[in-house]
Amino acid sequence: MSSLVLKGVGKRFGGLQAVTPFDMEIARGKITGLIGPNGAGKTTVVNLITGVYKLSSGSIKFGTIDLTEAPRHEVARAGLARTFQTIRLLPDATVVANVMIGMYRHQKASLVSQLFGLPSSRAETRRFRDEVYHLLDRFGMTKYADYPAGALSYGDQRRVEMMRALALQPEVLLLDEPVAGINEIEAAKLGEIFRKLATEGQGMAVLLIEHNMRFVTSLCDYVYVLDSGILISEGSAEKVVNDPVVVKAYLGDDEDA
Amino acid sequence: MLDLIAPHYPLLDLIFIGTGYALSQAIVFRAGTFSVATSGFAALGAYCTAILTVKAGWHPALGVFCGVLLGLLSGLLLSAPLARLRGVYQAIASLAFVEILVALILFFEDLTGGPLGFHNIPRVVTPWMLFIAMVATMALLIVLGKGGIGRAFDAMRQDTPVAASLGVNPTKYHVLSFALSGAIAGLFGGLDALRNFSLTAEQFGFSILIATLSAVVLGGRRAVWGPLVGTTILVLLPEIFRPLADYRQAVYGLLLVLVMAFLPFGVYDTIAMKLHNRRLIRAGMLKPKAGS
Repeated sequence: MSSLVLKGVGKRFGGLQAVTPFDMEIARGKITGLIGPNGAGKTTVVNLITGVYKLSSGSIKFGTIDLTEAPRHEVARAGLARTFQTIRLLPDATVVANVMIGMYRHQKASLVSQLFGLPSSRAETRRFRDEVYHLLDRFGMTKYADYPAGALSYGDQRRVEMMRALALQPEVLLLDEPVAGINEIEAAKLGEIFRKLATEGQGMAVLLIEHNMRFVTSLCDYVYVLDSGILISEGSAEKVVNDPVVVKAYLGDDEDA
Repeated sequence: MLDLIAPHYPLLDLIFIGTGYALSQAIVFRAGTFSVATSGFAALGAYCTAILTVKAGWHPALGVFCGVLLGLLSGLLLSAPLARLRGVYQAIASLAFVEILVALILFFEDLTGGPLGFHNIPRVVTPWMLFIAMVATMALLIVLGKGGIGRAFDAMRQDTPVAASLGVNPTKYHVLSFALSGAIAGLFGGLDALRNFSLTAEQFGFSILIATLSAVVLGGRRAVWGPLVGTTILVLLPEIFRPLADYRQAVYGLLLVLVMAFLPFGVYDTIAMKLHNRRLIRAGMLKPKAGS
């Protein structure tokens, strides 16, 4: 069981220490939480993992694969998928087309066969389409298959983004505030899906970045807390929520009250 | 029937070749690059074919083949510096590429005929050959557009960082789109040279660049049919508006403004989208918008 291991990972933007070097392990079969107040550096961590930013220090390893210097597309090919805090779909493309692009990692047909539409390439496209419809079915989105993604409601757009990440059949899933702006009932439904992704079959390593404390405590097996780029607490959800340092970071000092 | 069409062969030639250039332009747009290098690639293909056929005495087919290769190669080379630029800067850099080529053609008089032009090129290309070349190119683009390459291009055009986060190597597809664009423009440049008896540098300058760009904007950028529709309109328009000959440029400009204002995706793509939406509405999946 390989997990994603961050060692001494830090990021400095000029004079600003955005993330102070810290260690983190995102284990397979588990949901790992990353929480912290606004501007704590949570999304920066995801961007460091996925190769959007270069690390200022430390290393990132996924099993035996070294991802420290890997550019974005190689990180994805290694099996890491992410969603974005602000939804980033291809607005003009249909829902099916959006999710299809997630299948890119599994493309085996050679460039030549794609160029001339040889049978191997066409068969692959058909197979991808079938798999995409499976995913749509699972998320209850089949009726929107040919809908331009940009015209969907906010919650449905989130779902499309999730399906796109899952189309990669990733081993590590990085979810950047996946339930932001979604009501509690819908969020709970998505939470169940995340739980299944982590525990069913081979089991993915899921990293959940979230503001919603209740959502985090109900789902996560292990939680890291960032504040101003510094790791201030880690442990089981219960332990972390009751940690005075965390309470202080979220609610401020007692003395102010 | 033939008697009806025959006098218009020159117009057909213009449509087929113009569509070829527009397809070369559309493919880089589809991959999300704002390059206007097509007429430069076409110039390379045309002069390469003309020089090899007339000066070196090669078979015209071989000349065209070398024109394609030269276009492809220059596409590969140009893709490297353009990959470092974005948006309008790519347009300016590729425009510079075209202008430099035109200047070089004017300068190397011994090889290209310079400002006097390159003459005495055998006219061996028939409208049928141009038609076949156009259909073959369109078929290639339709086929590759439906597979993984098309999906990667679409993703890159709409959001390159997202495409990369899904495993698409942006550099690879950027280079591929330029190689295709260069090869297609090289092909039609070569055919153009063997159709017109002579070549001049101005033929590949700013005006054809604008005409090609207009054809793509007018027809539509997404579907392969867009460039054909756009080119056909632009070629036939001056014929239809013959009575307005004095105002031809004004009519042309007005039409472009109107299309951009009311059909922002181009004639073909806008109609295709409307039909798609209508199908969704019929199927009850989309609520009809008020007023449409």
